[in-house]
Amino acid sequence: MSRPEVIVCSGGGGVGKTTVSAALALALAKNGYRALIVSIDPARRLADAMGVELGTKARELSLDAGRGQLFALMPDPHNALRTFIEMLFEEEPASVERLLKNRLYLALEAAVPGIHEVVAMSLTWRAIVDYDIDVVVIDTAPSRNAVDFIGYPKRLAKLLGGRAVGWMAAIGKRTSISPEDDRMGRVEGLLVRALGPVARDVAGLFSEMARVRERFIMLNEHTSELLLHPDTRYFLVASLTVAARDDVHYLFRKLSALELVPRALIINSEFVPKRNWIDVLENSDEMTTAIREVIAALDEEDTIRKRAAQRTTAVFSRRYPNVLQLSLPFIEVVEPRNIVHALSDYFDIPALLAR
Amino acid sequence: MPISEGNPGAHVPLAPAVFVTGKGGVGKTTVAAGLALAAAQADGESVYVEFGDGAGGRRVLRNRPGGLEHITLDPSRAVVKAATPVFGSARLAKLALDNFAMRPLIRAAPAIRELGVLELARQVVAEHPGKRVVFDMPATGHSVAWLKVARQGRELTGRGPIHDVCARLEDELVSPGRASVVVVTLPERLVLFETLALCDTVEKEVGLLVDRLVVNRVPQAPSAAALADAAALSNTPGRVGEAAAKLAELLSVRTTLREQVMEALNETVHRHGEGKGVEKGLTLLPMSGKDPTAATVADWLRNAGAA
Repeated sequence: MSRPEVIVCSGGGGVGKTTVSAALALALAKNGYRALIVSIDPARRLADAMGVELGTKARELSLDAGRGQLFALMPDPHNALRTFIEMLFEEEPASVERLLKNRLYLALEAAVPGIHEVVAMSLTWRAIVDYDIDVVVIDTAPSRNAVDFIGYPKRLAKLLGGRAVGWMAAIGKRTSISPEDDRMGRVEGLLVRALGPVARDVAGLFSEMARVRERFIMLNEHTSELLLHPDTRYFLVASLTVAARDDVHYLFRKLSALELVPRALIINSEFVPKRNWIDVLENSDEMTTAIREVIAALDEEDTIRKRAAQRTTAVFSRRYPNVLQLSLPFIEVVEPRNIVHALSDYFDIPALLAR
Repeated sequence: MPISEGNPGAHVPLAPAVFVTGKGGVGKTTVAAGLALAAAQADGESVYVEFGDGAGGRRVLRNRPGGLEHITLDPSRAVVKAATPVFGSARLAKLALDNFAMRPLIRAAPAIRELGVLELARQVVAEHPGKRVVFDMPATGHSVAWLKVARQGRELTGRGPIHDVCARLEDELVSPGRASVVVVTLPERLVLFETLALCDTVEKEVGLLVDRLVVNRVPQAPSAAALADAAALSNTPGRVGEAAAKLAELLSVRTTLREQVMEALNETVHRHGEGKGVEKGLTLLPMSGKDPTAATVADWLRNAGAA
């Protein structure tokens, strides 16, 4: 299997990142690719609108994808830790049983950051192989922390490969855990004292983890191959708000520090497609007061948008002169899937995929 | 009762500490800053707390009045700082936590960091007696984990120093009367369903009350008269008729979107939220062409009786 093109769309919340990512994937399909869209933090509304169920399997979308094919994968964040444990301990069902009863595991179940991303990347890898995908669009969670997950598996691997695991696992093997036990070093003693009775659960979790180090490293490689590969393309999505612009600056800095310099800035809702009909109405004799007022309000909206658009493109051009900018229109329709279709016509795929 | 403008004046008063939470991109920062600003305007002093680099607060709090203190907490330093009392001294805390084995653990493991951050939050509230302290929390999943950590830690440890830290957090910070939760959301059906699930979790698993449910960016109804006029005009043949049809289409899309929003609010908040108390704290904020500043949001909240 040759490595597929990988595009990661990142950006702050509320910029329409999931819709833009779906539209980009659809545009790729229309250009003849077998495309896969992966939503890390699936927007239920969009998932429903496109007829996708949340789950561990990719499925083909019912959108008209022209020459290519479009698949979607939307893993459910709520099952992430369980899926992760099952992936890690595939060959050791007894460990799965023990872990699912561990008090620490139960306490952490809903709260492990990063695990969902590792799981999502492994599922993505499987979908790429199963469906012979040649381009993947990964839609990250709508938050500044989203880029943290890129480095997270490495941190986790460092933890599992490091001395802490063996150290904690050794504590777990003892028959009694007490800070007064003089076989324990000073640091261990402090730690057990701070943890109190839960020290055994912590140590238990670590000794299970120590057994699956290699398997974890394999899962981790999927994440690295997709997200840290030098050919992976990062696109940042913004809208016309100052908050969205600040998020772009923040993410650009973070990604550049990881040597993953973003290749494109996509500005969503940057313009309203030309409304020639406004001129026709304004020049006709049949305007009513109500129509005149509503047109004045539309003109005012347009002026505000144009001003914000100019500022945004100017700031981006000044700070990121060598990065491709792409403007998308503001689409007002009732059905979310129609927005995806409408936006998909505005992507210059050859330019976005140029080397 | 169908929703129109929220319930001005019917809101319960907020507790001294206010946790503002919600999904990413719903406008938490402006609502949190708006609440802090309104408190500073009413009481002369208040505190706005955010986590990270402080850029969000600086953006929305342009021309911040003197009585409003802006505090930025760094989660990556929270653990050692908060653990100092547990180990007796900063030196011992550093020895136990800031070493080759524990650094990667703390960096990768959840809950430990959350506990540290929550403890810093408690310290900020304790250092500002009598002032409203508004916390701009991280996005949903994370912030619930954050608030739950005190109760979980107490139940999990049973005794010992971590237990004592958690118990104090529950007594002094994470309890009704001490802290209010404000949930910010957007007027979309599925987002609202998720929001109600969040409110439920906050009340059952955290043990705090959601005192305000702020629905941000509620679209305004377009002019019905203009829609009627445009629809009538669209029957005339020729270019003017075609243009009027375009206008009628745009206005009817906006009308439908607004109706969907109100229907979703009625259905989710009233039917499914009934008896959960979120209804009485419901506050609707309008959609605006520009980024609203904290001052604008403070005015909106005050007018809705929600500040």
